[in-house]
Amino acid sequence: MTVMGLVVIAGVLAAVISCAAFLVWFERRLLAFFQERYGPNRVGPFGVFQVVADIIKLFFKEDWVPPFSDRAVFVIAPVFVVASVLMSFAVISFAPGICAADLDVGLLFFLAMSSLGVYSIVLGGWASNNKYSLLGALRGAAQMITYEVFMGISLMGVVIMADSFNLKKIVEAQEHLWFCVPQFLGFAIFFIAGVAEARRIPFDLPEAESELVAGYHSEFSSMKFGMFFLGEYLGVTLISSLIVVFFFGGWLGPAFLPPIAWFLIKTFFFIIVFILMRGSLPRPRYDQLMGYGWKVLLPLALLNLFVTGAVVLVWQN
Amino acid sequence: MSDYNLSLFYLLIYSTTVVILVAGMIILSYLLGGRHREPATGEPYESGILSTGSARLRFSAQFYVIAMFFVIFDLETVFLVSWAISVRETGWGGFAVILVFLAFLLSVLVYEWRIGAFDYAVSGREILKSIRKAKGI
Amino acid sequence: MDIMFFITSGVAVFATLMVITRLNAVHALLYLIVSLLSVAVVFFIMGAPFAAALEVIIYAGAIMVLFIFVIMMLNLGREAVKSEREMLTLRVWLAPSALVVILLGQFIYILYERSGSPLTASVVEAKEVGVSLFSTYLLGVELSGLLLIAGIIGAYHLGHTARKAYHRFLEGGSE
Repeated sequence: MTVMGLVVIAGVLAAVISCAAFLVWFERRLLAFFQERYGPNRVGPFGVFQVVADIIKLFFKEDWVPPFSDRAVFVIAPVFVVASVLMSFAVISFAPGICAADLDVGLLFFLAMSSLGVYSIVLGGWASNNKYSLLGALRGAAQMITYEVFMGISLMGVVIMADSFNLKKIVEAQEHLWFCVPQFLGFAIFFIAGVAEARRIPFDLPEAESELVAGYHSEFSSMKFGMFFLGEYLGVTLISSLIVVFFFGGWLGPAFLPPIAWFLIKTFFFIIVFILMRGSLPRPRYDQLMGYGWKVLLPLALLNLFVTGAVVLVWQN
Repeated sequence: MSDYNLSLFYLLIYSTTVVILVAGMIILSYLLGGRHREPATGEPYESGILSTGSARLRFSAQFYVIAMFFVIFDLETVFLVSWAISVRETGWGGFAVILVFLAFLLSVLVYEWRIGAFDYAVSGREILKSIRKAKGI
Repeated sequence: MDIMFFITSGVAVFATLMVITRLNAVHALLYLIVSLLSVAVVFFIMGAPFAAALEVIIYAGAIMVLFIFVIMMLNLGREAVKSEREMLTLRVWLAPSALVVILLGQFIYILYERSGSPLTASVVEAKEVGVSLFSTYLLGVELSGLLLIAGIIGAYHLGHTARKAYHRFLEGGSE
C-alpha cells in the first residue's frame, strides 16, 4: 500500500465526478450551438458556473420522499445509479500508472457493474409507486438487459485479440494497430449498446418525456433527482472512456502530448458524438428498439466473435 | 502484500469511498432541503390528473419472457467469455467446441425469430396487407 | 486477508438471514443481492476473480433481475405482506431450522477436523478456467448448451399467451 495509490483513487473520483458535472453545462452549450441558440451563458465566463449554481439549487430543494412510496427502496435507488457507474471507473487505465485498481478481470468487472445498473431503474420505478414510473422502469429494464447481452459479446473480439481482460494490457496490445480497425463491427455494436445502457437519445425510451413524464424518476426531487442526472452523465463519460480504452488505443498517441492528454482528447471526442446524437436523432419505437437488438445486433456480435477467433487461430499457426 | 491482494485492497478502498460519497450526497441534501406541507403535497404526479386506483399494476407475461431470454443468453455469454480468453491455448479443438455451441445458440435464435418471439408489436406489413384486403386492392 | 474474509462472510450470513425474515418480497430481494455480492467478494479474496465476476454477472445481474421482474409482474402489495406474516410462524420454520442446524454442526466438525486455511490457495486465472472448459470438459459445455436451448424454448412457450392485435385494421374485418 502506497500513498500514491490513495492519491490516484482520490484523483480519479474527483476528476470523474467533476467531468460529469461539467458535462451538464457542456451539453447544454453544445446543443444550443447546434440549434443556433445561446444556451446558459450568464453565470461566470461562458456560463461555466451554471453547474455550480445548479448543484447548489439541487441541494437546497426539498428532499421529498413520497408518502405513498416504499421509503427505504426509494432512497436506495439513486444510490445504486451513481455507485454502479462510479465503481466501473476503478478498473480504467487513464494513463500508465493511473488506475485506481488494476484488476486482471477488469473488463468483466465493468460488465458486472453495468449489470447492477439495471436495479437503479427497476427499484426507482417500483418504489415511486407511480404509474408512469413503473411503466418507465419496466421499459428501461427490458431495454437495458437486452442490450447488455450484446455489450458483453461485442467486447469478446477485443479480448481474443488482446488475450486478456486487463484494461491496461488491452491498451498495450493496441500499440501497433488500434482495435477500431480489425474490430470495427465490435466497436459499432459496443457503441450502440453503450448508448442504450446509458439511456441516452435515441435510446432514452424509459424517460421519454412526451409519453411518460420523466419515466422512472418522475417522483424524485432534490439531490435524489440530481443523482439520476449525475448517473446519466457519468454513464456517458464511462462509455466514452471505455470506447477509447477498448478500440482507440487508450492513452497511446504521438509523444508530443502526455498520455493522459491523449486519453482526455479521445474521450471528449466521443462525449461530443454522444451530444451530437442527442441533437440530431429521433427516438425509435419500443418494439423497433427491442427487435433491432435481438434480430440484428446479436447475430452480428456472434459473427464478429466467431470470425475474430478464426482469424487469430489462422494467424497463430 | 502480493500484487493481487494489493489491487483487491485498492478496490475495497475505492468502493468504500464511493459509498461514503454517495451517502454524503443523500444526507447533505436531506439536511439542507426545505420542508413544506400543503394539501396536494403528498399526491402522486400524473400530469395534473387525479390518480385513480393503485399504481401496483400487473404486467404482461411478455416482460417475463424478455427477462428469461436475457438470463439464458447471459449464461451463454459466460461460455463465450471463457472461450475468448483461452482461444490461443485451446486452438482448433476449442474452436470446434464453440462452433457446435454457437450452432445451438443460432438455431434457437432462428427458431424464436420464426415463431415471432422477437416481434413486440404488430408488424406494419401485416397491417398493410389487411388494409389492402379490406379495400380489395 | 483473513480478517476481510470473516467480515465479508459475516455480511453474507447476516444478509441471508434478513432475506428469510423480510416480509416484503422486494426488500428480501435487495438483501439477497447484498448476500450475493458479498459471496463474490469472498471468491475474490480466496483467489478466484473470474468466479467472482461471473457470480455478479449471472446471479446478481441476471437471475435476480428475473426475480424482480416476476415480483413486479405479480405486484402483490399489502396482501402478500400479510400472508407472509401469517406464514412465518414458529411452527413452520422450527423443523427446517433444526435440520439445518444438524447440517451446520457436521460442517463445522469437518472444517475443524481438516486443519489448514483454504485462503492460502493460489490465484486461479480466467485463462485456466477457459482451457479446462474447452479441452477437458467440452462435453459439459455442449450439454449445457443443449440445456439452455430447452430452457429458452420452454420459457417462451410457457410465458407466451396468444396476443390479441389491437389495431383497427386487424380486429376482424374492417369497413
